[in-house]
Amino acid sequence: MSALGHYLEEEGIATVAISLIRPQTEKTKPPRALWVPFELGRPFGPPSDPAFQKRVILAALQVLEREKGPVLIEDFPDDDPRGRPDPAWHPPFIPAGVAAGSDGSLAARLVAEIVLLRDAHQRWVAQHGRTTVGLSGLPISECARYVADWLRGTAPASPREGFSAPLMLRFAVDDVKAYCLEAAAAEIAKPSSRQLGDWFWNETAAGATIHALREACLSSEDERLKLIAGNFMVPAARVRGSG
Amino acid sequence: MPRFRNKTPGDRTGAVAAQGCDRLLGRPCRAWRNPFRGRDPDYRVIPADTRPEELLISHISINFDRTGFQEDWNVVFPLDRLRELAAEGTIGSVGQTHYSFMGATDPVQMESHARELAGRLKSDQVDAVILPPV
Repeated sequence: MSALGHYLEEEGIATVAISLIRPQTEKTKPPRALWVPFELGRPFGPPSDPAFQKRVILAALQVLEREKGPVLIEDFPDDDPRGRPDPAWHPPFIPAGVAAGSDGSLAARLVAEIVLLRDAHQRWVAQHGRTTVGLSGLPISECARYVADWLRGTAPASPREGFSAPLMLRFAVDDVKAYCLEAAAAEIAKPSSRQLGDWFWNETAAGATIHALREACLSSEDERLKLIAGNFMVPAARVRGSG
Repeated sequence: MPRFRNKTPGDRTGAVAAQGCDRLLGRPCRAWRNPFRGRDPDYRVIPADTRPEELLISHISINFDRTGFQEDWNVVFPLDRLRELAAEGTIGSVGQTHYSFMGATDPVQMESHARELAGRLKSDQVDAVILPPV
């Protein structure tokens, strides 16, 4: 976003960037920036904490009032209180045979798991009034079947005009992740993103499916599919063997 | 050299240029939208009347948390907070339109789109913009 800041400033619009990675901001040098000590994906801090979020915005707006420059990085002083694990949280119940493996193939277990999480996901939607499932444009059951078909090696055609099959695979994988993670957070407890990620990637059929699909696609001759599988399915920190 | 402007609370109009967001047009599924597909250099328009259930993230990177956004869109796109600050008189007003870039894009390819955006912002009488990453 540093380049965008410079272009807008040259046109007379004042800008302040939020920085999540201080060394990167020091290198890219936006006109003005506020560094915040939050995890990637949360530039305004904890969810459902309006007072905290407002403090971040006010700190950013105050940077606009500084007269020195051209590059200014100020530090926000407080950590995200929602970054800590919640010991009261527990994941939704999924029978061991579905989650970890004896009830049929991995693809079949993924489809079964999506059905098992339906009630929890409906509770999430009722609580929050929205879902972030929808990137593929497919109902979640079709997303699961589409991902499962890829895992079975059938390389299904894209179900949407104008979207390539590998792109639809990426979007369907994103929707499966969003569905499972929303279902897992549909209780009073407030799990950290790490708790949710540990559960999803280590204890679910969906996580195991995406790991397996990534491995399978990496040996494809389709360079675009290899690119998507290698970089845009499993977060770098969750790739098996990444430490 | 970027131009620095000294602002005082009360006369500022704010807008957000979030990263990697696109608006879902219509519900339920199978609605047409224009998601980011890769390292797109252009931007998406997010009108101020966009509802939380209409905003998704199609950013190409998966190496950032999305569970915060799932719970509360203000984590990435703090439109509710800006409205509150405007109602309190801390900022003058909130822009009528907001925008989203991929961010992880070649700056040279982004330039024409950024300068076009500056024109839109000026038409909307926006004089300050927050640029949050994800």
